[in-house]
This record gives sequence, structure tokens and C-alpha cells, in this order.
Amino acid sequence: MSQLNYRTINIDVLDPDSSINFPMDTLLPATLPPPTTSSAAASVASEVRQLLRGGDPEGALRHVLDTAPLGGDDRAKEVHLAAVTEVLQGIRQGEMSRVLEGVCTGDGGAERADCLMKYLYKGMASPVSGAGGAQSPRKSVSPQGTGFSQIQGRNLGEGGGGQQMSVLLSWHEKLVELVGTGSIVRVMTDRRTV
Amino acid sequence: MPTPEVHHLFHNPIADHSFSPDKSTLAVARDSNVELYQKSGNKFSLTDELKGHEKIVTGVDIAPNSGRIVTCSQDRNAYVWERTPSGWKPTLVLLRINRAATFVRWSPSEQKFAVGSGARVIAVCYFEEENDWWISKHLKKPIRSTITTLAWHPNSVLLAAGSTDSHARVFSSFIKGVDTRPEPSAWGERLPFNTICGEFLNDSAGWIHGVSFSPSGNALAFTGHDSSITVVYPSAPEQPPRAMLNVTTRLLPFNSLIWNGENEIIAAGHDCEPYRFGGDESGWQLTGTIENKTGPGAGSAREESALHMFRQMDLKGQTQADTQLKSTHQNTISTVRVYEETNGVLSKFSTSGVDGRVVVWTI
Repeated sequence: MSQLNYRTINIDVLDPDSSINFPMDTLLPATLPPPTTSSAAASVASEVRQLLRGGDPEGALRHVLDTAPLGGDDRAKEVHLAAVTEVLQGIRQGEMSRVLEGVCTGDGGAERADCLMKYLYKGMASPVSGAGGAQSPRKSVSPQGTGFSQIQGRNLGEGGGGQQMSVLLSWHEKLVELVGTGSIVRVMTDRRTV
Repeated sequence: MPTPEVHHLFHNPIADHSFSPDKSTLAVARDSNVELYQKSGNKFSLTDELKGHEKIVTGVDIAPNSGRIVTCSQDRNAYVWERTPSGWKPTLVLLRINRAATFVRWSPSEQKFAVGSGARVIAVCYFEEENDWWISKHLKKPIRSTITTLAWHPNSVLLAAGSTDSHARVFSSFIKGVDTRPEPSAWGERLPFNTICGEFLNDSAGWIHGVSFSPSGNALAFTGHDSSITVVYPSAPEQPPRAMLNVTTRLLPFNSLIWNGENEIIAAGHDCEPYRFGGDESGWQLTGTIENKTGPGAGSAREESALHMFRQMDLKGQTQADTQLKSTHQNTISTVRVYEETNGVLSKFSTSGVDGRVVVWTI
């Protein structure tokens, strides 16, 4: 006979008025693009790679931001994030400003800028999205059971993650210069996640 | 443009402010009290305090004709204050809410007022003669979260509400026996209580901080925490709007907005200064700031002696104290209100904010 431990019941789940039970899908606008799959994202990634190899970084960035799987599943989003990271890493420091200006102006430029900002924050939030998605997601190791892993944190600073982070940070700096803090605020409010 | 009239009242946040119609009385919400200031010369001095709320006062509004003041607070109550020979007398309003009251505004007819709350309802309050008190009816249906802001349509029946569920909605608050049947408009023809005349969501969502009807009532503007403003032009009842125009900005979010005629909107918020937007049904854009910041901020830089410079570097690690913002408000602006207008076109408006200042701007 199992004893029910009442203290471990998450009572918020049972309360219909609780914020946990807020229907998050009501925050999605009707204009959300139809869901895409990871294979579609993979084909976008190869198109983008071609553009990048063909010496058109601006076109590559523009294309990868226009095809962001806002309505896709998690797998599609992961594949697309890898593609975006690849493009960002493939553009040289000196070219950043010029490329950004091209991408963030003109028709739909503001949306592309907001979308890029979402990817920058997503890239900075996920420690393992290595170039091309080659690395598999590591399990977070937490020896003390505190949920806070020191091992992973240290690896970040020294390994490839640190280099990726510095690329994202310099993009972030350039993008804020161009489109202002409003774009950062919209990353927090927008439920059309990338 | 002329320099704005600045009244630095105290060093506390001002949740809301309201001027009497003759502009001689200013009511501001400070902590759990409402303070009344009287104009003497070109200064405002404290004359009265409306004490009664137990928690932070979130809204205050002076009715232009009757002079009654309505206040609401996080203690879940609202009071209507009337001036008697022995001072201001409060009447408790039966709100029937179990969460904080967040916002209150008189309808233009002054027969009703609406109170937004964290209980996911809007209490529309009116005076019941028989029992001699203010009672409320709840607008409830599709609201999924706290109501943060409200605005009345000029016909006193339609009510716009913004919520933390990121939707701006237009409701009918028609109460039999109190309201006269409104003229049919693009928002609706038959308008029983709690009719939903519109429900709008931005692409980038975000809590709604401010809503406002245009002077004609035929357009709605709202702003949210996504640093954008959205203008909606309704087409016909039950139909999608004729146009819904979103202007994203590079600024920090706006907290409040008002219309200046049908083709200009003034919005202010976390960037501490008011901005102008201009446009019509074909498109809107940010057109600039109200404030001319080359004035006081830049001019206040005094002559710097070498001694002074090194002393500052020693004391503060910098040569110039740059703790002052260049804007008139030194912190977030929380409320923008119409101060003086003719036929919907503004000549003056007022702002109040977290810095304890009330500023009257001339356009």
C-alpha cells in the first residue's frame, strides 16, 4: 500500500485559475506560418550552405531568417538553429555591419531583425548547439544534485562553446546598434519562438 | 516648442494622476493615499489627503462635471469621494473582486465607471438609487488574465481593455436604465452587456499597457510590452477589422498612449519621454519626440576647472556626474492624459511617472 505524500502534490496543476494552466497557445497570432518539419529545415540548411559557399552571406542570412520555422516542432527548430549558427559563424567580423544593414532594411527587414535577435538569444541559451549540429546534446551532469552543473560551466568557457558565444555577442552588439533595445524586449514577449 | 511645466511633487512613484476640469486641483496616487494639490501661482501645494485605502492606490480619476473622485487600490476596494462641507467623504463601491483593483476611469457620461482587476474581471459600476450605493456588474467572458488598463469610447457604452493575456478587447458595458441606446457604429449595432466587439492580439504579443479610442471612437490604439503600438480600424460588426497596423519601434516599451486628433498618437513609457506617431488607415509610423533635449540637459554642463575634474575623478571615478537623464522625466512615465483639447485636437497633455513628477506639455 503506497502512502500518498500530500506535501509533494503540485497543487497549482489542479487549480484551473493557476498561471500554470494558462493556455499559452492563445498568445500565438493567427498569422503563424504552417508547421514545418525537420526535413524541410534540413533542406533549407543545405540551400543556405550553398549561398554561403557561393559568396553571398547577405543572401544566406536573409534566406535563413525568412524561413525560420516559427510554427515547427522542436526538432525542426533545432536543425534551423544549427543552420543560423553556421551562417553567423561563416560571416567575417569585418562584414557583419554591412550584411546586417542589408538584411535589416527593406521589406520585412524589421521582422528579420527581430528573428535574428531571437536566434542570438537562443544560441546563447543553449550551450551545446555546436557548428552544424555535429555535437550531440550532452546530458547535464549535476554531482551535488543541486541542478547546477559546475562541470558544464567550465567547459563552456574554454571549449568551442566560448568561441561561439563570442561570435553571438559581437552579432548582438552590432544588431542592437542597428535596431535598438526594442528588439530585445520583443524576444521576451514574442511567443512565436524559434 | 515652449518648455514643459514641471511639478516635482515628491520622491515617490505616481501610479496615476488626474486634473480637475479647471486645472486648479491635481489628484495623485501616492502609496496608499491619494493626495490633492491646489494650484497657487504656478506651483501646486498639498491641501488634502484622501485616506481610506489600506494598500497601494492604483488608479484615481476626477469626473469633469460632477467633481467626484473615484479611486481604486490593491486592497480590492474602490471609493467614490464627494466633497462635503466637512471634507471629502468616501462611499465604498461593491466591487465583488478577490484580487487587486488595477485601474479605474469614469465614463464620459459620468453615470458609470469601470474598474479593472487581477481577478480577470472588469467591474462596471453604477449608482443604484434605491439602495443609495454604487454597485457593479462584471465583464468576464473571454478575459484570461489581469486587466491592466481601460479606456472609454465617447458613447460611454463601449469599453476598451488591455490585459496581461496580451489581448486588447472592446466590450459593451450597456446597462439598462443607466445608458441610452448608442448609435450603431462599426463596432456593433445591438450591444447588450458583455458583447465582445473586438479582440486583438499583436504578432509579438506582450502585456498590454495602454489602450485608447480615437476622438471619433472609430479607431482603437493599444500598446504593449513589445515596444510597439497597434492601431485598429474596425469594419463592421462581427467582421475582421478593416485595417490593423502595427508599428514596432527600437525603443523601450510604452506604458500609456493618447490620441491627438485622428492622425496622431502620443505615447510614453520606459524611455522617460513622450513620442509622437503619425498616420492613417494606410499606415502609421514613429514621427519623433515631443521633447527638445538640446535644452536643459546639455546646457547644465558647467565650466569645469582642473581641480574640480580631478576631485570628481577621485571621488566618483568619473569626471562628470551623468546620473541625470537628459529628458524632463527622470524615470519611467506611467500615465499620459489629455490636459487641454478642442474637438479631439490636443493643445496640452500631462504625464506622470515613477520619478514623482507631473509634467504638462504644450504641443
